[in-house]
Amino acid sequence: MTSAEQGNSKIKAIIRACRLIMRMNQALPEARKSEAMYYQMLINYFTRLLNARENGDFVAAHTVFFPAELIYAMDMVPMHAETTTWMTALFTGECSDILAAGAELGLAYEICTPHRGLAGAFALGVLPRPDVMLWSNMVCDNTAKSGELIMEICNCPGFFIDHPFKDSEYERNYLVGEMEDMVHFLEEKSGRKMDWDKLSEIVARMDRQIELVREVNELRKAVPTPFHSQGFLELVSSDYLFPGQPEAIEYLETLKQELADAVKEGKGAVSNERFRLMTLFLPPMHLMAFLEKISQEYGAVSVVEPFFTYWGEGRLDPTKPLESVAKKSYMIPEMRMYGPMDERALNSIVDCAKQYKVDGAIYYADVGCRHTCATIKLFKDTLNNIDVPVLTLDCDVVDPTATSEEEVGEKLEQFFELLEDR
Amino acid sequence: MKALGIDIGSLTTKVVILENSRILSSVITTSGEEAESSAKEAVEKALTQAGLSFDNLYIVSTGVGRKSIAFSQQPKAITTCLARGICYLFPSVRMVIDMGAESSTIVKLNERGRVKDWANHDKCAAGTGIFLQQMARLMQVSMEEMSKLSLQAKSSASITSTCAVFAESEVISHVHREPPTPKEEIVAGIYASVISRIMALCKRVGIEKDVAAAGGVALNRGLIHTLEKEMGFGVLVPDTPQLVAAIGAAILAEENVEKGLK
Repeated sequence: MTSAEQGNSKIKAIIRACRLIMRMNQALPEARKSEAMYYQMLINYFTRLLNARENGDFVAAHTVFFPAELIYAMDMVPMHAETTTWMTALFTGECSDILAAGAELGLAYEICTPHRGLAGAFALGVLPRPDVMLWSNMVCDNTAKSGELIMEICNCPGFFIDHPFKDSEYERNYLVGEMEDMVHFLEEKSGRKMDWDKLSEIVARMDRQIELVREVNELRKAVPTPFHSQGFLELVSSDYLFPGQPEAIEYLETLKQELADAVKEGKGAVSNERFRLMTLFLPPMHLMAFLEKISQEYGAVSVVEPFFTYWGEGRLDPTKPLESVAKKSYMIPEMRMYGPMDERALNSIVDCAKQYKVDGAIYYADVGCRHTCATIKLFKDTLNNIDVPVLTLDCDVVDPTATSEEEVGEKLEQFFELLEDR
Repeated sequence: MKALGIDIGSLTTKVVILENSRILSSVITTSGEEAESSAKEAVEKALTQAGLSFDNLYIVSTGVGRKSIAFSQQPKAITTCLARGICYLFPSVRMVIDMGAESSTIVKLNERGRVKDWANHDKCAAGTGIFLQQMARLMQVSMEEMSKLSLQAKSSASITSTCAVFAESEVISHVHREPPTPKEEIVAGIYASVISRIMALCKRVGIEKDVAAAGGVALNRGLIHTLEKEMGFGVLVPDTPQLVAAIGAAILAEENVEKGLK
């Protein structure tokens, strides 16, 4: 295998898996058209990355919650670093090679696996080398250090955006200044110019995209809920990978229509909906198929994910594109969990539980995530106070050695029995 | 139709037969390598004791081997059975601490014997019955002697609660140091380490009175004394604490019979 071929091996594996899923779904009479569109979007995203070098494209790798709108507006190829790692786990079920390589770099077992795996993947050379690395301190210390490490491993230039923790006019203006500096940096490194008109168009579409997710969320309130448990990953990825992109709008419009039709027909995502669940944080990617199977078996379905799909209030203004991108970074659902933990964050989960008629919540306590584990008791007590039981499931979003299928299955069965027996 | 509950644990199998919510018979046998055959053997013993035959029974199974027996009509989680079982024995109990051979489970329940919350510890042998057996072997005393020794201790040795292997090497160093740490202090230290793990689990779900102890380890009076000291109040212990989950399973079987389930 040449180094270029090896450098694309994980990307090729993701594309291959997406193609296979699409083919399998085509055979299913009930398959959603939007699901096929979603997998095609993923194939296109990773194929563009795969062919970037050959096409003379400029590859900008970036960490999670980074304003990828700016990368798209400069006609560069984005590479969402953490998503690439968790999609490797999701689609190939195998991450031991990149996690072992991360460990060889000296990254401790306790460090967040998407970052540990990401560093390992670049060190192994199984991901394409980016032209620049872009990162910020949003959302955690791992993210803040990860970019620096990848920049070093890949021997490429990088830019760090200092994202203020709190939200105020002063802090947003500061963030706009940081993004302006990054645009200058990218112009200098790539020789490309920022297309401000294009950025305005992207922001306008992003505003629509957020509105569409809100409309999808409204439909998910129906009993039975029309969207299946793991479908929320589609909503998450449409923002992470395709912010303000036409294909994301098309996908969400189609999904919304399908869900509206299902609601009209009274058709639920599970054949016999018994337990409506709130999902807190991310389930282990390698167990997605198993989780879907056990959910179907017990008639359980995730109806809301306050920290992943439930956008904060506000609209984006295309006439002020940079300000809007800054504003969006405070509106993202994840900000409730990773931002300052105040009454608003706690009230929002209570509101979600009531609005979506939640029977119970599953807290996926990712062992490598300080933020997630620090809030277990806080969220659990908050939900218990309104009589919503919470299952805390210790796991890892990427590493299959942290929790076995049997262990997760056993705990879920106990939890569903608890809900059934109330 | 009679209701039968069977709890297939990693060390012992427990069977309880109920009729009109009254215990007709109960047995505790050692779990064999094959869950199905040891379960059958235990059920036959319980049936003989009650003067019944295998016919006309509704069986609910629980414990680690609950899914491996073909003759059970319904497998149920240990948490559900512990809650029902302890509510039957002590209706005032709102928290039951089940200390089994290989795991510990804390269940919070309501006044109807329904699970409100639970936490379990199953990642390490530290804090389990097997760990205590191993420590007794290491100290060359029986479990009963160990219990008595702990009650005589005026202070306790410091033993880690995070890892069974580390705890073992600490006990060895206490035994071999010059002069050796008195046996009763080592035992008290071992119990304190077990109880500190249990207390962490209890605090995770929130301690609520009355508290009861279940499982084979609850027979250890010294350990229960240490638990009560940590809790700051008395803990209820059934006469045969090993049977709590099997009783719960039998109650669930009876409920299903009443619902007309087959």
